[in-house]
Amino acid sequence: MELRLTDLRDGESGIITSIKMGHGRGHREHRGAGRRWGFRKRLEDMGLTPGTRVTVVKSAPFRGPLEVYVRGSRLAIGRRMAERIFVEVKK
Amino acid sequence: MTKSKFIVVLAGNANVGKSVIFNHLTGLHQHIGNWPGKTVGKAEGTLHFRGYTIDIIDLPGIYSLSTFSIEELISREYIAVETPDLVINVVDASVLERNLFFTLQLMELEAPMVIALNQVDMAEKKGIEINYKKLEKTLGVPVIPTVAIRGTGVYELLQRCVETIEKGGEKPSRMKYGEEIEKRIKGLSEIVKKVHYPYPARWTAIKLLEKDEQVEREIREVKPEIVSAAEKFAEEIEEIHGHSCSTVITSERYEIAGYIAREVQHVVPPIKPPMRERLHALTTHRILGYLIMAVLLLSIFYSIFTFGDYTSGLLSDLFYCLEPIFESIFGAGIAGELIWGGIMGGIIAGVAIALPYIIPFYLVLYFLEDSGYLSRIAFLLDNVMHMIGLHGKAFIPVMLSFGCNVPGCLGCRIMETERERLLTAFVVTLVPCAATTVIILGLVGTFVGVQWALALYIIDLVIIFLLGRLAFKALPGEPTALMMEMHDYRVPHLQTVLRQTLFRLMEFIKMAFPLIIVGSLLIKLAEVMDLLNPIASALSPMTVTWLGLPAITGIALIFGVLRKELTLIMLATLFGTTNFAQVPNFGPVQMIVFTLVTMLYIPCIATIAALVREFGWKKALFITVFEIVFAILIGGIAFRLLMLA
Repeated sequence: MELRLTDLRDGESGIITSIKMGHGRGHREHRGAGRRWGFRKRLEDMGLTPGTRVTVVKSAPFRGPLEVYVRGSRLAIGRRMAERIFVEVKK
Repeated sequence: MTKSKFIVVLAGNANVGKSVIFNHLTGLHQHIGNWPGKTVGKAEGTLHFRGYTIDIIDLPGIYSLSTFSIEELISREYIAVETPDLVINVVDASVLERNLFFTLQLMELEAPMVIALNQVDMAEKKGIEINYKKLEKTLGVPVIPTVAIRGTGVYELLQRCVETIEKGGEKPSRMKYGEEIEKRIKGLSEIVKKVHYPYPARWTAIKLLEKDEQVEREIREVKPEIVSAAEKFAEEIEEIHGHSCSTVITSERYEIAGYIAREVQHVVPPIKPPMRERLHALTTHRILGYLIMAVLLLSIFYSIFTFGDYTSGLLSDLFYCLEPIFESIFGAGIAGELIWGGIMGGIIAGVAIALPYIIPFYLVLYFLEDSGYLSRIAFLLDNVMHMIGLHGKAFIPVMLSFGCNVPGCLGCRIMETERERLLTAFVVTLVPCAATTVIILGLVGTFVGVQWALALYIIDLVIIFLLGRLAFKALPGEPTALMMEMHDYRVPHLQTVLRQTLFRLMEFIKMAFPLIIVGSLLIKLAEVMDLLNPIASALSPMTVTWLGLPAITGIALIFGVLRKELTLIMLATLFGTTNFAQVPNFGPVQMIVFTLVTMLYIPCIATIAALVREFGWKKALFITVFEIVFAILIGGIAFRLLMLA
């Protein structure tokens, strides 16, 4: 089953299938360095590449960021960014 | 090798102990500045070893060499264009896979390198054992295990560095991607080789396939056909894998890093969760985490203010003991006035008022940062900061600003993009600093009531919230989100913390003191030349008519530009008393309006200087003018509302 990373409960894990970015073609791109791939690249550089196992450790209250465990290290990811990460979960 | 002078750079992820190694190598022979034209700190130092003079440059802590941040651009440009003699890649042994991902990219830059496998003790505690000899063989790069905070291995590291340079600095091995990618990299490098470009051909080819903005742009200028060839290759790879080519390359790089990490390390996780894990769980807990943070931050603020207040008083008294000496040397005439009231006044302001708050603030900040707690605060407060369009990391400069806005402005550097830096700086200049707090408490708190002082504080926070949102909406660009590593808790390295404090302090003194002194001198000059009263009358439409304040307060407000608490001191001088309750035409309403205006009206001269330095004249001027106009507007409205009540 494919879910958003934010749909996982604390302690659950899944395999990343894709990162979906942007609001379609019409979205205004940011000026300056690297915005074109922007945050997808950033997430991938931090190790969140397709095929990687990621575990949601917990999320901060009131729709706060997620604490995830990936590739042997611990990351904090803002919720809006985490919503764009899709994972495959065995149910 | 006949050269006797080398340049060595330190590169690695954030929080791997790079600056600790840097400090060990260079001692106090350091120079902290900025990269030319950039708001990114640059630390340089020199050391002498076996007759060689070695310049060491500490590159910013980064995770990749793409174009995500200015730091990444600076680092790759420096390594490729300035061609240092050696790159020391500092690697955190306890998070090997992530660190090797960066190592692989450094290797692609084809600079001679040595790896400092740092924090091997931390790794051992996590049950990770690394066969560094095997790692050395796999990568084709010398690997030296170190525990930088104890100085272990640093001498061996230096030895190996010099040996590597003496041998002529071999290039590291080449890591291979999947066949379908390798084939295209090779094809592309062949044509890249024909043009003149400072980066290695293979690296350039990989970056072109990754659709790296900067490389694409620069190559297109020389030979656009190369970019179209790369685009074609990238499309082919995308078709094979079903993901974008940049994703495929990043994935493969991580696969290689993961494979190497698994090959060289042996992991036996400890049965009982160690102390730092439990501490992490506790400090990020949804209820307890906030409680701990609140208690910790409040006690930090309380201690800093108590310490600052006490030390500040002590230092002021000490300085004013010097007054008779100055008078006896320079006389009580105009020259004496200018030297004592102007120049010395400025120095006293800097030393006695600013430093007692700034030093402990910096110390605590670096202590919290080094221990890892700051990233937990950013995690907990991310959604609060989102309300004003920022993310969790912005809390750090904002927190600093409660002490002094200057380190707050400088602290905006931790934000990733230029837009976030500017937004954070704007919010930071509105935060009531220690001096503003002194006025709020000393005037409103004492003569009107503590509940009113508190109300002013709350009003300020509401204003920050509203203006922050407004600026967030007004500034073009995409909002960014929190994305950071939360490294394991560790005991901070005292020496590094002290040195960081010392160097930041020097930076502050160099930047702010000249301005404070010149400003102080100018105002003193105006006073000596009897210009103050004409200025006060010129300002009276604003002060008297609009704000309902006595005309004389205009002078106090001018002095506040220098340092905010001077407004209070000047008021006392101008009224001839410190018991403001006795002053006619200066009732509770006037006190509140006056404090409100002082709180908002201008970042003091040192803050303006910090803004100019970080963002240039135009933006600094805009923020300053905006805040003056805004403060007067709010002050007038408050006056009318309070008169109604």
